[in-house]
Amino acid sequence: MTKIFPYKYDIEDLDNGLRLITVKTGYPNLIALYIVVRAGSRNEIEPGKSGFAHLFEHLMFRGTDRFSSEQYDEILKNAGADHNAYTADDRTVYHVVFSSEDLEQMMMIEADRFQNLKVPIDLFKTETRAVLGEYNKNASSPLTRLLEVTRDTAFTTHTYKHTTMGFIRDIENMPNMYEYSLEFFDRYYRPENTTIIVAGDVGSESVLPLVNKYWGSWQRGVYTAVVPAEPAQNSPRHAHIDWPTPTLPWVIVAYKGPAYSDRRKDMPVMDLISHLGFSESSDLYQRLVIREQKVDILMPLFEDHQDPFLVMVAARVKDPADIHGVSDHIISTFDSFKKAEVPGERLEGVKSHMRYDFALRLDNSQAIAAALAPYVALAGEPETVNRLFDTYAGIDPSDVQHMANKYFDISRSTIVTLCHTGK
Amino acid sequence: MESVLLPGSSPIVTFRILFRAGSALDPKGQEGIASLTAAMLSAGGSRSQRYEEIVEAMYPMATSFRCQVDKEVTVFMGETHVDNLDRYYRIIRDMLLNPGWRPDDFKRLKEDAVNYLKVSLRGNNDEELAKEQLYNFIYEGMPYGHENAGTIASLERITEGDVKRFYEACYGTSIMLLGLAGGYPDRFPSQVEFDFAGGLTTGNESELVLPQPKKITGLHMQIIEKETRGTSISLGFPIAVTRSHPDWPALLVAQSYLGQHRSSNSFLYKQMRQVRGLNYGDYAYIEYFPRGMFQFHPDPNLARQQQIFQIWVRPVEPQNGLFALRMALYELRKLVRDGISLEDFESTRRFLTKFVNVLVGTQDARLGYALDSRIYRIREFPVYVKEQLGVLTAQDVNRCIRQYLQPDNVKIVVVTQDAESFRHAALDDAPSPITYGSPMPKQVLDEDRQIENYHLGLTADRISILAVDDVFQKP
Repeated sequence: MTKIFPYKYDIEDLDNGLRLITVKTGYPNLIALYIVVRAGSRNEIEPGKSGFAHLFEHLMFRGTDRFSSEQYDEILKNAGADHNAYTADDRTVYHVVFSSEDLEQMMMIEADRFQNLKVPIDLFKTETRAVLGEYNKNASSPLTRLLEVTRDTAFTTHTYKHTTMGFIRDIENMPNMYEYSLEFFDRYYRPENTTIIVAGDVGSESVLPLVNKYWGSWQRGVYTAVVPAEPAQNSPRHAHIDWPTPTLPWVIVAYKGPAYSDRRKDMPVMDLISHLGFSESSDLYQRLVIREQKVDILMPLFEDHQDPFLVMVAARVKDPADIHGVSDHIISTFDSFKKAEVPGERLEGVKSHMRYDFALRLDNSQAIAAALAPYVALAGEPETVNRLFDTYAGIDPSDVQHMANKYFDISRSTIVTLCHTGK
Repeated sequence: MESVLLPGSSPIVTFRILFRAGSALDPKGQEGIASLTAAMLSAGGSRSQRYEEIVEAMYPMATSFRCQVDKEVTVFMGETHVDNLDRYYRIIRDMLLNPGWRPDDFKRLKEDAVNYLKVSLRGNNDEELAKEQLYNFIYEGMPYGHENAGTIASLERITEGDVKRFYEACYGTSIMLLGLAGGYPDRFPSQVEFDFAGGLTTGNESELVLPQPKKITGLHMQIIEKETRGTSISLGFPIAVTRSHPDWPALLVAQSYLGQHRSSNSFLYKQMRQVRGLNYGDYAYIEYFPRGMFQFHPDPNLARQQQIFQIWVRPVEPQNGLFALRMALYELRKLVRDGISLEDFESTRRFLTKFVNVLVGTQDARLGYALDSRIYRIREFPVYVKEQLGVLTAQDVNRCIRQYLQPDNVKIVVVTQDAESFRHAALDDAPSPITYGSPMPKQVLDEDRQIENYHLGLTADRISILAVDDVFQKP
């Protein structure tokens, strides 16, 4: 079978531990530069300090001695660059897309802020308010709150207990945490935690010298985060949210799932189940959304994580009276994979979907770098994508049944409901 | 029928099948019918296949078929790997040319439309609520004066027969633009043209004639009350400039400088978020830009004959709501008074000259922009923008700022808790100071004094309070 990731790439490791991945996409004019830091909200191990990885995503735009944030912005503006960043549980990703001729300048300013960020306390405090603003803008969405409560209920110990935004009490206290923010940067923003992805009509022969020049003197760090392991869950957990304004009810059914691996079949089987059980083509979707029309959104959330996380299915229900019935249907669907093998033809249809879906996304340099970033954070190299799709190809109906029995036990479940009662 | 073809070597084939008909054609009392009709075509069954069968058939190909309905344009979009082109095309051709009109699809899609208004907009996204309601406020009583999805009352009245009649009356080849891009076989476009020419009537070619938007005098404010953590603000007024107007490139520079969408490089963002930490961001527009909360670049195929200038203030803490509103107006006034400097003009122009490549960075975006260029009768979008920017001067931009922008005759929509207090404070026009958690430079504090005293001059008859449940309720 041809490789799912068809582009040629080079990997180079600097002495300080920094990794460069150059992907020659052949798409002209634009270059996508993705800087992946393997630190996310998973690394927020001290109580009271959730949300710092995300706060750092903001602070990284606040300047250095050499370039103030205004100068940094001006350089990006002159390059017509499209830049931003995002934070997830296991990674923080800084990305910029720009015209090919501006590569050296982009490398220079990005290297500068990663090594020399300097945020005075006043600017730090102002930025913490923008983070609160972000929390507030998200707060009108019930799904945001639902995911927040699901994690908080499902995890007792692991840092996956909190969302990337962090607990609201910690966000409100951020202005007082300047010293800790310096420590966070010192611990995690280090070359051995960082991978640079460059995708465009460019090869490593032109990129590597620039990376050596601007990133070569970055000092290795010493810190290793010890993330507390989540103890086994032995009984089902439930939570309910009473939403203050009118909305349609929601339910989330979550089970403790496996960690990412491209070789062990556990998580790849979960990916297939997410499609088999809960995608638009699934029996459940066809029944609840199209035929019975009890649900208008049915959404599997099976995300890859470094440590064992959750496999979740969220549904928005049209009538509050149906909320428990819908929840039962979702649980029965999980159970159905334990009882019988899925038809082979259906499994192959899902595999075909996943291959085309991935391939259809890779139609420009930015999309290619963006698709690689999560995998690079988890496994360090693009080859993991090819291995993952090889593993998918080798999964048969008995593997699906076996993994379903391993993970979908009701004692490992968390169910969270949300509705507006108007009381 | 016109076609816009962008053949290429990509293994992906992109479709954009566009009709120059949209929600501005919704008959009175049937607001939402254009959207519902398009939904029946793109998310309902065809005569030969039920919707479940279509979903099942598309699934192994990882394809989908979607629609976007705006005031004057409806576009159907999809893409497929060239391996599956014939199979995919046969499905979507039937969806568009031989719709199934099944009652269960109609019931589901009508409920989706009602829930979009009630839950997604009213309930779950205050920012988009303020942005969308601003258009209804500005175009009240006119063909643009209702949300594209309709109103809850009118949706409830629309029948399957109405939708079918709308399709028969409005979907004709004379208003169709076929967009195709990617590695399709050479003969493919003519096959599509042949099929559609045979499957649709010619239809009505006459161009939509719109009344001029009503003149706004002074500030007018609608406050939507709901229980929510933040205060969201959108404000704006009609402008006589669209992409086909010779002053559009100059106004684009002004807009990008003031409030490039989701960019830390815009002036409003710097002043309101970076310097003052008021919120998550603040932006300005000269074209309709829906779904801004979820995306960084505008979707193509939202071409309109009439546009507004708009400022979007993302949620601020309620105690800073009036200050944030005043600040947006203050900065707009300053821009009109002082214009932009030569240096800012040059840097914004340099930015846009390169950024236009980012806007058309995907095959789908290139195709969408190419269709829009056909509608606006301009050259290929990136070429046109670069060429126009090349001959533009700072004087041109400042003339356009003075000619088209102004801070005095503006409509404002605010979404907030405790609407009565907001109304009272806005009417009172008393200073609305802001406090910070950290020391601020004197220059900022001095400017804050001016902002907190910005004279609004609102009168009681120009402020109304709406319960959130009344928004999008009826035409």
